[in-house]
Formats: sequence, structure tokens, C-alpha cells
Amino acid sequence: MMNQMLRRHFLQTASLGLGTAALASLLQADQAAAEGIPGVLTKTHFPARAKRVIYLFMSGGPSHIDLFDYKPALRKHHGEELPATVRMGQRITGMTSGQTSFPCVAPMFQFNQHGSSGTWLSELLPHTGEIVDDIAIVKSMHTEAINHDPATTYIQTGSQQPGRPSLGAWLSYGLGTENENLPAFVVLISQGSGNKTDQPIFSRLWGSGFLPSRHQGVRFRSGADPVLYLSNPEGIDRENRRQLLDGIRDLNGIAEEASGDPEIQTRIAQYEMAFRMQSSVPELTDLSREPAHVLKAYGVREDATDGGYARNCLLARRMIERGVRFVQLMHRGWDQHNNLPQQIRGQCRDVDQPSAALIKDLKQRGLLEDTLVIFGGEFGRTVYSQGTLTKDNHGRDHHGRCFSMWLAGGGIKPGISRGMTDDYCYNIVQDPVHIHDLNATVLRCLGIDHLRLTYRFQGRDYRLTDVHGEVVRELLV
Amino acid sequence: MIHGIQLLPNCRARVLFVVVTLVAGGQLRGETAGPDFGREVRPILSNKCFACHGPDDKHREADLRLDRKEGVFSPSASGVTPVVPGDVAKSELVRRIESKDPDEQMPPAKSGKPLTEVERNKLIAWVKSGAEFKQHWSFVAPVRPAVPKVSDAQWPRNAVDNFVFARLASAGLKPSPEASRETLVRRLYLDLLGLPPTLQQVDAFLNDKRPDAYERLVDDLLASPHYGERLTLDWLDAARFADTNGYHLDNGRDMSRWRAWVIEAFNKNMPFDEFTIEQLAGDLLPNATQDQRIASGFNRNNMINFEGGAIPEEYRTAYVVDRVNTTGAVWLGMSVGCGQCHDHKFDPLTQREYYQLYAFFNQVAENGLDGGKGNAAPMLAFPSAEQAARQRVLEAEIAALQKVTPDQSADEALKKEVAAESKKHEDELKHLQAQIPSTMVMADVPQPRETFVLVRGQYDHFGEKVTANTPASLPPLPPGAPHNRLGLAQWLVSPEQPLTSRVIANRYWQMLFGIGLVATAEDFGSQGEQPSHPELIDWLACELQHSTQPGVAGTPAERWNVKALIKLLVTSATYRQQSHATPELLKKDPQNRLLARGPRFRLPAELIRDQSLAVSGLMKHRIGGASVSPYQPGDLWTELSSREDSSNWTAQSFVQSHGDDLYRRSMYTFWKRTCPPVQLSTFDAPDRETCSVRRARTNTPLQALVTLNDVTYIEASRKLAERVLHEAPTDFQGRLRFLFRTVTCRMPSDRELAVLAKMWGQQKTHYEKQPKSTAAVLAIGETPADKSLDPLELASWTMLASGVLNLDETITRN
Repeated sequence: MMNQMLRRHFLQTASLGLGTAALASLLQADQAAAEGIPGVLTKTHFPARAKRVIYLFMSGGPSHIDLFDYKPALRKHHGEELPATVRMGQRITGMTSGQTSFPCVAPMFQFNQHGSSGTWLSELLPHTGEIVDDIAIVKSMHTEAINHDPATTYIQTGSQQPGRPSLGAWLSYGLGTENENLPAFVVLISQGSGNKTDQPIFSRLWGSGFLPSRHQGVRFRSGADPVLYLSNPEGIDRENRRQLLDGIRDLNGIAEEASGDPEIQTRIAQYEMAFRMQSSVPELTDLSREPAHVLKAYGVREDATDGGYARNCLLARRMIERGVRFVQLMHRGWDQHNNLPQQIRGQCRDVDQPSAALIKDLKQRGLLEDTLVIFGGEFGRTVYSQGTLTKDNHGRDHHGRCFSMWLAGGGIKPGISRGMTDDYCYNIVQDPVHIHDLNATVLRCLGIDHLRLTYRFQGRDYRLTDVHGEVVRELLV
Repeated sequence: MIHGIQLLPNCRARVLFVVVTLVAGGQLRGETAGPDFGREVRPILSNKCFACHGPDDKHREADLRLDRKEGVFSPSASGVTPVVPGDVAKSELVRRIESKDPDEQMPPAKSGKPLTEVERNKLIAWVKSGAEFKQHWSFVAPVRPAVPKVSDAQWPRNAVDNFVFARLASAGLKPSPEASRETLVRRLYLDLLGLPPTLQQVDAFLNDKRPDAYERLVDDLLASPHYGERLTLDWLDAARFADTNGYHLDNGRDMSRWRAWVIEAFNKNMPFDEFTIEQLAGDLLPNATQDQRIASGFNRNNMINFEGGAIPEEYRTAYVVDRVNTTGAVWLGMSVGCGQCHDHKFDPLTQREYYQLYAFFNQVAENGLDGGKGNAAPMLAFPSAEQAARQRVLEAEIAALQKVTPDQSADEALKKEVAAESKKHEDELKHLQAQIPSTMVMADVPQPRETFVLVRGQYDHFGEKVTANTPASLPPLPPGAPHNRLGLAQWLVSPEQPLTSRVIANRYWQMLFGIGLVATAEDFGSQGEQPSHPELIDWLACELQHSTQPGVAGTPAERWNVKALIKLLVTSATYRQQSHATPELLKKDPQNRLLARGPRFRLPAELIRDQSLAVSGLMKHRIGGASVSPYQPGDLWTELSSREDSSNWTAQSFVQSHGDDLYRRSMYTFWKRTCPPVQLSTFDAPDRETCSVRRARTNTPLQALVTLNDVTYIEASRKLAERVLHEAPTDFQGRLRFLFRTVTCRMPSDRELAVLAKMWGQQKTHYEKQPKSTAAVLAIGETPADKSLDPLELASWTMLASGVLNLDETITRN
């Protein structure tokens, strides 16, 4: 047991490293296995409706026009030039700024009504149709960014320029984790089947920016080593690893007596935690114990033709069950500049069933109540065709003026839609929700006032929402 | 964040007393000793008031400005005076901060920044005591303070110690005894070379009985070519050096020549003013040499985009912004970036002034979206003689063919032949040019671009036109200096400029002591932390800038002498203290800001890996050259960037190096910005997307997994075990001692020996039963195991070596 003085030291310097905080908790609870690590907020600003988040990020910019934002009137304008009164001099990307013609394209897909809310959805999302009464669709999302790098960086970090912490890092910093044997913030990546020449993503999207690096997302990979360096190397097993760690602990203990540096206790605790992760993580990622009906419900495919998205959805559920604070899925392949009809079919086949299964599964387990699920990309797509519009083919360029996302679970009002766009799915006509507003709302669900979760860097108190953001109260229960 | 001094409330009064005594010969302030304005009052005003009553013109409330004397002491528009020195009753500021009326109370509730009781009392005490007011400390040029006299004349070895001792005495503390020679030799090698000493080097120092053995060792290390590598390491973070262009597709680039220039500059101890000028404006120097132009690549290390559809001017603007912000953080220690969108809220930098700085960097002859093909113009090419010759031939032939086509013969066949021949030559030329190594440099456009304030920082919203200039709150450009980058660089290192010398001295202090005298090394502004030793930082700044001899103006050769500064710091008694922390010290000063003990902190990421390579004998010490790709757990890049057309770009999938390149120092590891080397980023290396002058130092389980399981460390353990079996005395205890001492530089105690012996025995017993595992462990890494050694023996020692490489003491610089 530590003496009072050291305990005080840990508490005083708790902001300097996970180590000290972790140790403080170790000291308190006799090494209870699943002890959490507190964040800077000892108490949330508001009662938290959600305790954790699963973010289903659709990287590339899914077309809101073809999936969520049903505009029967658009049919009439199919093939017509986009009126200047709609475009209003809007800046467009270098990929279509040279086009001489901007013909409007109505979706090539049917829309149907679902649920008691009567929500319209594209025929490409039949499974999502089964959960419409559990989700809130926001059709009036908007962003200033018009290209992938700045737009994904913007929605994930609140700034188009690199250097700020991501949403998950802010939550790790603010709320800590509920299970010290697992990271607070996990990232799972999948490559969609719809578009194999899709946009790259970057570690910045789950980076910690200026927050201490322990808050960065830990990328879990498929295969033998879900966490980098997790497995013992060939020829080293759990028995001799344990023996070695015992020796290291004893030697570190002797060094601590000599140097008096409490950081050594922290180091000992971290090595023990690493050892525990070596069993807790494989247990977490082992889907073999999931019953067949669950695997089937998620649509987990042996051949992983969905790039592993269904598996990642199921893993996300297992992670939040074990106290991971923030699970970030990233599914690439949504950048439909051309061949949209064929590509978007593939993308929807990847994500529709697993995303819906996740919501149903969470609900059935009573986890949806305090788990917030977010689905969406960095921007939407243009109503006008990129490239030539033919009878059965076209593309769409990036569009930041409006796009759709959905949210579900902890704190979100189910079965509603928010915001409205014009008949061209081009401009917002009612209740715009900026991505800062979205982030403020997400924090609010977690009981955090986005104005008050701050970190001082270069003399300024930074926050996720920069100097913007309004909580969208209409989305909250 | 950093609490050090605030934890010691009762020592503050005593510090104040000392400060007053120190300045007594000069200008004694105030009527009665109130709180110190710079250290205690200004930070409150900055933190709680400046956002609405500070430098930002556009958001200033009630036209009241509390960051300037005029604002504080003159009657406001409404006729009340914020502060009447000595008169609490007449001071509106006091009335407002004491008011309970929500309409009057300051700061208002909606600001979310209420004053604490302590802060309120401090402000009132300040008014009462005469309301001394002066500019923020770091904006006034340092004046060399007198070296304090101290009661213990024996302890100080140089002036640094006098300052430290005086501060300790004021807190009722005493310095610690000198560290053991084993500790000192390891400390010096790691700090100055970034490499651990060999046993021979340890012994040489232990056996050197001359009284100046320590100083001789310091001189030797400062003369080592690895010194330049060590200093370059930190500079690479500051310069946001990387091997890819960043942003989106993140293509490869090659700035290794610039890196080599930096190493060389540190090794030849180029004065820091020259070092500054050549890197910011080497291209603008009269008759610039090739080396000076290479040096100017400092500000080409920024990211360069190549996203299809991005707007070129938007990104060209981002590059200029990055250069302004980097230059601001590295030399001025200022977060100038705020000025991109609005007037700075805390420091005297208007948005207009930001764009005056921007104008210096707005002249680069570059394209907005040029990151798709390796290095981007402007650049210097380095063809081999053969390449140069072939290039000349091809260019001549292309020119000749061009002359043929227009006027001769309309013969279709001939025309076709000429076209085909031209294309062949052009393709070969293109291919050849892509092969020719190059480095990016600065070069300005012939016709200067106009610069405008960018409204809200947006590249396409032009405001007022501005010309290159320095901020009004800092001295003007030196007389005769050109209004271009060269002038700006000269200004940064001019004697009147108050920031650079402090900022640079502080960063070397940070490198050696783990934390700067100003803990916020990136921010010396209003919101930055107050220095722990205000006189010492000024004294060091003067020392660095002017001379190595106190009070004597240095010759040009003595000015900005980095090696001299570092020698001064490492030969101080302060640096040489042992790091043992007593419970009393931990309680009084947990972060060791007062330096009553030697610094002890975890090694930087690169040094952890390099140390393992060094002690195992694997390290290849070649200096400079192209970046290399040591082991990575699988291809981490492809998962993020795979595309069907990936082959059109470079650095899209990871290709591991082999042979010597697996064992180079980590500073040569290929740095892909969108997926930085994971062994290093796990230990807090930044991503190098933007400038960073201070690393976090965390302690996480993922770090343990790296040093326990990464191939690098297991292979190093095996090679270290082979050294034990070949080089150590053949008795068991002798081998244990050799292993432990090779890594930690000291002899293990009997207790430690007993633990080591037990560990070895357990591993031996384990592998005796498992010959397959034995073979597997020995097969890790690309250097083959020594077949002449008994596998069981080697595996047991390998595991023990792995244990020793994982000790806290090993990855810590004690």
C-alpha cells in the first residue's frame, strides 16, 4: 500500500499521465480487474444520457440524395440544368468546376416508407428501414469543407486544419475509461466493396492533437494481433512472460526504493496492465463464442467481402459491453464521383444490415439506452452529375451545403427527422445543423457542456467545437 | 496543467522578498510589497479579463483595454477610472470585481471565468500597493541580471547554480549531492549524443582521476559527430520534418539533404544566428552557396497537398500560414496562429500584424497542389555526373527535333518519326529527372505577390492590403534590413528582439532538464507559464546572445554559441545532482521545478530504440543519408491508403528495409505523416504534420507491449545475450554483472543480482522443456543467431536481456 504522501502526489499530477491515475485506482481497489480510469471531469456537467459512443463513419461522403433525403419533386428536374438561383455561386471542387453543364440527377432508386414514423428511405437501405423508429435522421447537416482531407478532419476534430484532438480523444480525456484493461478509444477500419479507388484516411482522424498522446485512438486490426505488439513473440508463452514480468517488477521495486521516483510504481502498473490486455483483448475479439444467429443477424461474412464492416459492428458491441468509451468505425468507399449507381449499391450492401443489426442488438441487450450511435460521412454529394449523365449511369461531386446523418440511442429522440433541404437537396431551408452543432449535441448526450470541456494549449483554452456549436435540443429526449 | 510553484504558497512571500532585494539596487517598486505584477497579477488579468478587455479590437467590450497602461489608469468613456493606484475606493475595477449585482459583476457570469477568492484578493492587494504595471516580461529585452550571492560558496560551479541556489534557499530547500560517476557518464552520453556509453567509455571516465575529468568528457562529447544527431532530433520536431508530403495521398518526399545540413551545422557549432538566417533565408543571402540554399528548406518541410478537386490557392495559403505559425512557435515562442482569423485575444498581435508577417512568406515560387510527385518546386537537383551528361544530351536532342518539325517537309512519315523520336526522348528525360535526387528549397517569385488581410482567415476573402513588417509591440526591423525573409531572419536574432534568445535557451534547458524554465516552451505570451527562475532565463538568454563571459560583449565568434550554452548547463552543479527524491522533496516540489535534485525522466522515443540497438551492438552508426524503414508489424500504411491506383503514387505501401538499414538511429526512420512510425509514436513522438517544440511524456501499457514484443527489442536482446556469452567473464555472476552494467552503466547490488539469477534460472528451466520455443525465440530478427552458442544458454540469456531492456531504469535517463 502506498502512503498518504504518494497518494497525494498521484492525485496532484494525475493530469500528467494515465499512469499516475491508473495507479491511484489500483491502490484504491486492490487491483480489481475492470477498474476504470477517470477523466478530467470528476462529474459530468449534466446527467449523462449516454455513457459511450459508437461512431459509424462513412468515409468518402455518402450521397444523401440517393439514401435519406427523399425529394419526389426532383424527378421533374431530372436532366435539367441546376438553376443558378439554387447554386448561388457556391464554390465547387476542382473536379467539376470545369464542367460546362450541371444536369440535375434524380435518384435511380425507389424510396419507401418505413416504421410508424413513416420515414422515407432508399430501397438500398431495407434493414435500416427496420430501425427507423429507433433513430433520428438529420437531413440538414452542413460543413464548409468541400474536399476529403479537410472535411473528415473537420467533422472528427472540429477543425479543417490538422492538429486538434479528435472527438474520441476528447471523450477519453474528459470521461476516461470504464475498463482499464482496454483502451478508452478504439478505431476499426474497413474498406468498402463499392469503390476500390477510394480516399485514404489518416491517423490524425483518431489522433490526440495537443492532448496527451494516451488519449489517441488505438487502432484494432483484424488478424492475430488486434492491438499492435499484443501477442508474445514466437517462442515466448504466457508462463515465461509472467516469470519475466515478475522479475522486472522486483527489479523496478528495488530501483524505486533507491530513487524514490513514484513514476516507477506507475511503470510497474502499466506492465501489469499490458499483461492483462494480452488476455482481455483476444477474448474481446474472439467472435467464435458468439452464437450463430448473432453472426447471421450482423451478416458477418466469412469472406469479408464487406471489408470486415459487419465484424467490426459486432466487435463494437462487444467493446462497449466491456467498457470501451468510444468505438470509431471507419468504412471507406463512399466517394462516388462516377459509377454511382453501381458503387453505392455495394457500399449499402456492406453497411445496411450490420448497422441495423447493431441497433437491434444493443436495444435487445438494454445497451441502446446509454449508448449513442452515430452514422454518417464528412459531407454529401451534388444533385448535379459529375461527368456525363446517361440513362443508367452518373456520378456526383462533393457537397457540403447539406447532407444527412442519423443518430440513435443514449439521449436521442427516436423516430424523428430534423431539418429540411430544398427540392434539389442542395440548400437547407429549415433547421440547419452544422457539424459543430452535431458535436455539441454528442457531448451533451454524454453529459458534457461543450463550452466547458477545455484544454489549455499555447495559452488558449481549446474545445472540440472551437468557438461555435449549439446543442440541437430538438434531437434530445 | 503544470502546478509546480503554485503548490508552494508559503514560499511565495519569501521569493518575493528575494526579488525585491535583488532589484533593490535598481528600481525598487511599489509603496508596500504587493503581489508581483508580472508573476501574479498579469496572469489573472490575462486569463479572466483580456478576452473582452485585451488586444482584440473587434471583440473589445466597453472600449476598455486592460493590457495597456493607458487603459488601466485613464478614465474610461463613462468617466470612471479602472484603477487609481493605492486607492481601492476610487478604482472601478475593484468595485466591479466585488459587485454582487449580475449586471455589474466582473467577469460576468456568462464568461464562465469567475474570479477565485484568492485572485480577487490579489487584485485588490495590487491596487492597494500602488498598482505597479509593466509590460509582459518576455516582450521586454532581457537585461543581464546580477548573479546572486549565495550562502554556500562551495556548491556553485557556475552562475547557473547561484540562481538555482538562491531560489532553493528562498523555499527553504537545499541542493542534493552530486550523482555517482556511473550515473553522470550515462546521463551525459544520453543527453549529448543520444546514445549510451560503452563499458569501455564508462570505465575510461571512472578511471580518469584528473580533477577536470568531467569537463574533459563534456568536451569530448560536444566534439563527437553524434552530438549533431542528438540536437537535430529535437529540431526535426520543430521543423515538422517528414518523408512524405502529408495531407491526403501522402506521397513520398526527400528532405534528407536538409537533415544532413542540420546535423553538420550543429556539429560545427554554427552560431545560432547564422543557423537561423540560413534556414529561414539562405536563398536570399548574397551569392548564396549551395549549402545555404539547402538550409533554406526549413520552411519547405510543411505538408503539401495533392487532393483531386482541392483548390490550389486554398492550400498555397495553408502553406504560408503554416510557415508563419512554425516560425512564430520556434523562434518567438508565440502562438501567432490566432492572428490568422482575428486579433490575438491575449498577446499584442493584431490580425493585420499577422498578415504583415504572412507577407514575408507569401512570396514562395510554389504551386498550391504539388504534392503528387515527390519533392515540389522550387527545388535543387543533384544529378550524378552521368545523369547530368545524359540530361544535357536529351535536352539538346529534343531542342534539335523541335527545330526540325515546323519548317521542313510535309512528309507524313517523317513527321511521325520525328514525333515518335521526340516523345521517346521526352519520356526518357522525364524518367531521368524523376530519378535525380533533389531537395526542396525556398525561392521567391520574381514579381512579389500582394498580401491582404484574409477575412476570418479565408483564402478567398481579401481585406486590407498590407506589406511585410514585424508586430508593433516588438522592435522594428534592424536599420538597413531588407523587408523580406532575410530581414525577418536578421530581426529574429537581433539584440533588441526580446524573445528568440529566451525561447532558444529555454528549449536547451528543456532538453537537459526535462522541463523548461518556462514550462510552456511553445508559449512565452500572456497565457504561457511564468518562468520558474525569471532571472536565470534572462541571464541565460543574455549569455547565449552576447557572450560566454558575463558582462563582456562577445566577439562575433562567441555570440549565439550553442555548444558553450550546453556546456555551461551540463557542467553546473545543478545538472550534476543526484536525482533521488526524498518524500519531503516529492511533497514540496513533485515536478522538481526548483531543482533541489537532478532531473530524472523517461527517454525520448528515439533514444529508447537506439539504446537497445547500441547496447546489443546492432547499431549502424552511419550519419546522414536517406531515410530507412526498419521493422513494422505488418503493412500499416496500406490499410489506410490502399487504392486500386496506388501504384501511381509513392509511399503508399510499406516496404521494409534489410541489412544495415534495419539498425540505423531512429532519427533516420522513414516518417510517413498519415501513419507515423508506431514504435516512436507510442512513446509520444508527434505526427510531424505541424511544428512541435515540446513532447508529452506518458506512461502507458502500449509502451510496455512495444519494448516487450517488438522484433527490434527481441533481436537486440539476443544480440546482447551473444555479447554476454562472448565478452563477459565466464562465471555466472560475472555474466549477470556484464549484462546489467552494459545497459545501466552501473553494477547491480546483491539483491538485484539475486533477482537476475532467479529470472535467468526460470527462463532456463522453461526452455529446457521446450526446444521448439528455444529455436523460435532465437529466430526472431534478420540477423542470424550465433550458431556456435548453445541454443538453450542463448535463449535464457536473451530473455534475461529482454527483461533488463525493459527496466524502468533502462528507459529512464537518471
